[in-house]
Order: sequence, then structure tokens, then C-alpha cells
Amino acid sequence: MILLNVDGVECRYGSVKILENVNLSVKPGDFVGILGPNGSGKTTLLKSISRSLKPHRGTILLNKTNIYDLKSVEVAKQMAVVPQNTSIGFSFTALDVVLMGRNPHMSRFQMENKKDMDVARRAMSITNTWSFAERPINELSGGERQRVIIARALAQEPKILLLDEPMTHLDMINQLEIMDLLKDLSIKESIMVLVVFHDLNLAARYCTSAILLSKGKIFSAGTLEVVLTSENIREVFQVNAMVKKNFVTNSLYVIPLSTPKSPTFRNCSIHLICGAGTGTPLMKILLDEGYSVTAGVLNVLDTDYETAQFLNIPVTTEAPFSPITEKTHRANLEMMSKARTIVLTSIPFGHGNLKNLEAVKEGLKMGIPTFIIEEIPVENRDFTQGKAKSKLDELKNEGARFVKDPNELLSLLRVSEEKLKTVKEDTSKIPGHLKLEENSARKEAPKEGGSNK
Amino acid sequence: MASENVESRYFKRASRWKLIILVLVLVMIVTSILSLGIGFAKIPFSNIFQIIAKRIPFLNNLVDTSLVIPSEESIILQIRVPRILAGILVGAALAAAGVIYQGIFKNPMADSYVLGVSAGASVGASLVILFGVSFTLLAISTVQIAAFICAVLTVFLVYSISKVGGRVPITTLLLSGIAVTIFLSAIVTIIQVMAGERLQIIVFWLMGGFYNIYMSDIWAIFPFIIFGIFASYFFVRDLNILALGEETAQHLGVDTAKVTKWLLIISSMVAAAAVSISGLIGFVGLMIPHMTRLIIGPDHRILLPASAITGAIFLVACDAVARVVLAPVELPVGVITALCGGPFFIYLLRKKKSKYSL
Repeated sequence: MILLNVDGVECRYGSVKILENVNLSVKPGDFVGILGPNGSGKTTLLKSISRSLKPHRGTILLNKTNIYDLKSVEVAKQMAVVPQNTSIGFSFTALDVVLMGRNPHMSRFQMENKKDMDVARRAMSITNTWSFAERPINELSGGERQRVIIARALAQEPKILLLDEPMTHLDMINQLEIMDLLKDLSIKESIMVLVVFHDLNLAARYCTSAILLSKGKIFSAGTLEVVLTSENIREVFQVNAMVKKNFVTNSLYVIPLSTPKSPTFRNCSIHLICGAGTGTPLMKILLDEGYSVTAGVLNVLDTDYETAQFLNIPVTTEAPFSPITEKTHRANLEMMSKARTIVLTSIPFGHGNLKNLEAVKEGLKMGIPTFIIEEIPVENRDFTQGKAKSKLDELKNEGARFVKDPNELLSLLRVSEEKLKTVKEDTSKIPGHLKLEENSARKEAPKEGGSNK
Repeated sequence: MASENVESRYFKRASRWKLIILVLVLVMIVTSILSLGIGFAKIPFSNIFQIIAKRIPFLNNLVDTSLVIPSEESIILQIRVPRILAGILVGAALAAAGVIYQGIFKNPMADSYVLGVSAGASVGASLVILFGVSFTLLAISTVQIAAFICAVLTVFLVYSISKVGGRVPITTLLLSGIAVTIFLSAIVTIIQVMAGERLQIIVFWLMGGFYNIYMSDIWAIFPFIIFGIFASYFFVRDLNILALGEETAQHLGVDTAKVTKWLLIISSMVAAAAVSISGLIGFVGLMIPHMTRLIIGPDHRILLPASAITGAIFLVACDAVARVVLAPVELPVGVITALCGGPFFIYLLRKKKSKYSL
């Protein structure tokens, strides 16, 4: 069994350390993702493994032999590399290029024989490149060329396959096909596959394990569940991201949300009355704009509820698929009373959530400015035989402002904020005002709401 | 899918390559024979045939050689034959070196002089002429020896300059070749300024051509060029793979550092040997490889030998033209190479513009 061991590798360009104490052990069938931001040393690691850049310290062992003690042709028989840059001089045909992959298996004056051709044809068939085998490589599109380069690597019949961001030029179907192919090779032919990824989702979907590099060191290594966490991504990539399990592909997926810029604080809290996903986009927009947000009443498992959970937004909750009870309604009013503004989204109304409209009415009575977003005409979302519509009309008469979309809402909010500034109210005294940094402290908040059931 | 066709077409090219070489060799022989008949002295082909036949064992028994005129015999054997052999050797050398340099540097402007061979040879030859130490040593002129040695030393200098921490980056090599060439050209100019009445000899040498070639000159360069071209064939597949980039070549089992070093040594020797007897002949080392590549493709297994033979044919033909076009005055052969080759190359470039890239 072939083993690849990276042992305490340190690489430097001049005096700048690019890699430091990197350890890695790969066995047949492993599909390893090498992840990390730009400049974290991914390519350097791949170069040192592929015998292109001798490490200053540490060793890379292929079957217990240091690869820098082996001849390049010996390494080439077992290891193939798909580099980032695939520009090729001269107009060799795609087939010529793939057959060059047979070089380590040929003696010096040998011509390509039937077996070499068979291997090349197979490599080209599975990469969908055989149909343009005779076209010059420099007339192919980026994606076609990339696949030819992968076919060339496969023609080496390697035991170890290293790929440096191989998906850069590929469209969706080719990305998936190539990844499926690599996965297949790693399983059926026990090939070790090491891939430098920029696309964390692609990595999550195909890799059996991953290493996450940060500033030349391994920040995290192991299964994807261990490596791909919101915390690691925030720490290494400086991006707030959501990591979830996709039940269709049964793999993790990462949704980058925002850069951790310090938002402008607007000293203003908004209570969202939403549901059925109508509040989801607004929650993130409002948080990004620097408002603090509360929401209610939301049924547990509602999309808006899940978003609020993720964004650490305090919510007044009701049991799943249940009408809003008097008790929850009270809790919601309590929460709402602390807000400076109320926003009602275009929720579909049924008998179960009519109380939310009453809550808005109460809010208006408390003198809280209220905005009603009407993206969908109420007639199309009123399932209460006109009760909701009449209530909405009442709200309009009592001073609620109707806006047509979130953009209009934001501009109006900014205007009312300017007015507040001129009044020079001591905003810090306003209850319910929360800063973004206090997100973690707010984690308990939904439970408070939940306890009201 | 016509996959069988693709494969059989691929395998058929080995026989196509043999045919190309065969045809080129035949063209070379025909060109050489025709060229023997061209010159200021009009010698009929029947006489030429008799003169040649006389020197070839077995054939001399079959041909009546009594009619051979001694003056014609000496013109053919002592002037035209060495000249044509020189044309073949120098043409092949410059074209082969050009192919190798273009392959290593992947730069379309690389030619057989790119590492300072021409400038080095010019300095060597001019110095010998300047100091008037031009004489014949062991049947080889000191100008030729000095040109060869200085050319080799220059390449060695360029190579050492480019060496950074045990590695020789290709772009650095190319740039230092250009820098050294510029520097040495300035020195040649200084020598010319100082040369006085010998200026004409220097200028004449620099213009390049085959004026006073003896068989001894041919024998002196023959081993370098023939051995060099054959030795470089050892690395032809590596040259193909180098087109994928140095790093990728290494991943495909090519010891790039070693291969590059040997190819540079070989091609520099070949180019230096050529320059030492011909002086500077432009165009051949740059354009013949490009032309050949345009016609038969980039595979160095056929490109290298085909370019070498094409270079030989081209130079012999150009030399023949140079001898007669303004007879009795002889034009420098470099003028003819540039005059014929330039427009032809432009024609090829326009015709296959979309397909050609380096």
C-alpha cells in the first residue's frame, strides 16, 4: 500500500516563511481538500509535495522514501499534478498533450504504442475530451484545456493525484463531472486525491477529509464536520458564514453572509412582525444596516424563525403550526413595546396569525411608528374572508405607513432616524437596544420567548 | 465516434515522418548538385558528374574520366564542394540550434544566437583580425578558432550570470543573453573603430558568408555539428514536454534542470561551430524553425531533423543565388537569406495566422 507522509514541512521564499510545521498523512482512497484563504500556503504545500519546491525543513515521504531522493521519473510514475496555470507553448493537439502523460512510462527513444494510446483514449473519454482530440490545445476554451490537462494527469496512471484549484475554468456540469470522476477514481482505484479548493461547498461535498491552512500553518484538520465550522471560517477567512447540512446531497454547505465589518450602529431597534419567510431577507438587511432587531410572533420551525435563530434575533415564539395564543400575544406585545419601530411584512394571513395584526394595532396605540410592507396585495394573501384586509385598512387609518418594498422602508427609516437626531434624545436609555457584538448574549433570548407558550 | 480514425491517423504519422525526412534529404541532394553547377565559371553538368564520379570508388571505373579538365576539377572540388558542404553544415546547425532554443525558451524571438554566440564569435574574430594574428594553425585559421572559443566562452558567461542559487531561470537566461550581446556588440564597434585598414576584413567577416572555405575548415566543424545534432535528438521528447512549462515537465518525469543544461551546451557548441566558419548569417536560426513548425507541426521528434535539413537546403540555395545574382560580385549570403526568407515567412504567417502560436 502506498502512503504519503508530509512530516514537519517548512517552506520559505527567501526569509519569508510560507509553510510552517505542516504534517499530513494520506492513504489510498483518501480525498483530501486543502483549504485556506489566499496566501495561506495551499499552493506551496502542493508544490512541495509534488517535488517542485524542496522544503527547508521536514520531509515528504512516498512509501517511506523522501521524494527529493527519488528521480523525477520515479515520482512521475506514481504522482500526477494538475497545476493552476495551464498555458501551453506551441500548438500541440489535445491528444499530443495527453500522450505526454505517458512519458514516465516510456523509454527514451520509444514511440507511443497501442497501450499508451488506449490509456490516453480512456483518460480522454472520461474527461469528455476525446471529441476534440485532434484540435490544437491553444485553440481550446479554458474549460476544455483544463479537462485535457486532467486527462494528461490521468494518462500517467498515478497513485496520487494533486490538483491545484482545478475547477477555476469549469462550468457547473463539468465541475460536477470532474469531481464525480475524481471521487470515483479515489474509491474504485484507490487513488489518493489532494485538491486545493477555493469553493468550500465543492470541497464539503466530495472530500473525505480536509486541512485548513491559515498563515502557513494547519489551523484545523480532520473530517469536514471538524474543519468546516462557522467558527473556523470566521477565524481563518474573516467571513461570517452559515454552515448547514444539506439533506439532498448529505453534505455540509457553507453560505458566506458578511465580512465582519463593524456595522454602523443606529441606536434603533425594530420589531418585525413576519412569518412564512417574509421576514428572512429583511432580518439580515436590517442587521447589516446597524439596527437591532426583534421578531414575533413566529411559529417554531417557520423559516423566519430559523433565520432569526441563526442571526441571534430575539423572537417570541408559538408552538409549530399552532394559532397564536393570548399568552404569546402578550409576550409579543411586551417585546414590541421596547422597540422604536414596528415593521409588518407581507405575511399571508390565516385565522391562526390574525393576532399579529392586533399586535400592530396595539403598537400604534403605544405610539410606536409602524411601517407595513405591501409587496403582495393583501387580497392575494388573505385567507380569512376579508378580516385581515379590513384590519389592515384600519391600521392605515390609524397612521401606519405603507411601503412597497424593503428599499423604501430603509430610506424611510433613515429619514425618521435623522429626525430623531435633531430631537437629540438620549438613545442609550432606550430599552431593547442591542448592539451586534452582544449577539452571543442574545442567544438566550429566543428561549425567553419560547417559555411563554 | 470516429475514434479508430483518430488513432490510426496518429499511428500513421510515424511513417509520414519518415517520408518527410526522405523527401527533404532528396531535395537537399538535388539542391547541392544543382548548386555545384552554379557559379562564375560555367561548367557543364556532364563535366561535374565526371569530376565527382572520379572521386568515388567503383563509380570511377564505369565513367570515362579522361575528359575531365584539371581547372574545372579544382574549381569543383576545392571551391564549390567545400562551399556547399559548409552551407549544409551551417544551415543545419543554425536551424537545429534555433529549434532547440525556441523549445527551451518558448519565446518566438529566440534564435541560434540568443545566448550571445554571435556576439562572442564576432569579438573573437575581430580581435584576431585587429591584432593581425590571423594565420593558419594546423590547417585551421586562427580567426575561426578564436571565434569558436569566444562564442563558447560567451555562452558560458551568460549561463553563469543567470545562475541563481543553483537554478537557472529561463527568462533570466534569455535576458542576460541579450544584455551580454549588447555589451559585446559595443566592443566589436570599438574594435572596428580602431581597426583602420583592417576594418574591411572585419566588416566582411561580420557580414557572413562562405568565401574562403577549405575542406580543412569543414572537417574542423563537422564533428561538433553532426555529433551535436544527433546528441540533441536524445532530448527531443523532453523538448515537447517542456512546452507544458518547466514545472509540469518535471511532474512528467523530465529532469528539467539537467535536460536544459545539456541542450544549452549542445546547441551552443553547434551554433558556435557554425558561426566560426560562416560569420553572422541571420534569419536561418530564427525563421527556419518557425517555417518548419508551421508546415509540419510542433512535435520536436520530426521538427528537429526536418528543420536541420530544411536549414541546409535553404542556405545552400541562398548561397548559390548570392554567388550569381550580381556576378562577378558576390553578395553576402545573409542578404539573400533575409530577402527570400522574410517575405515567405510573412506569407506563411498570414496564411495560418489563426493556427500558429508559440
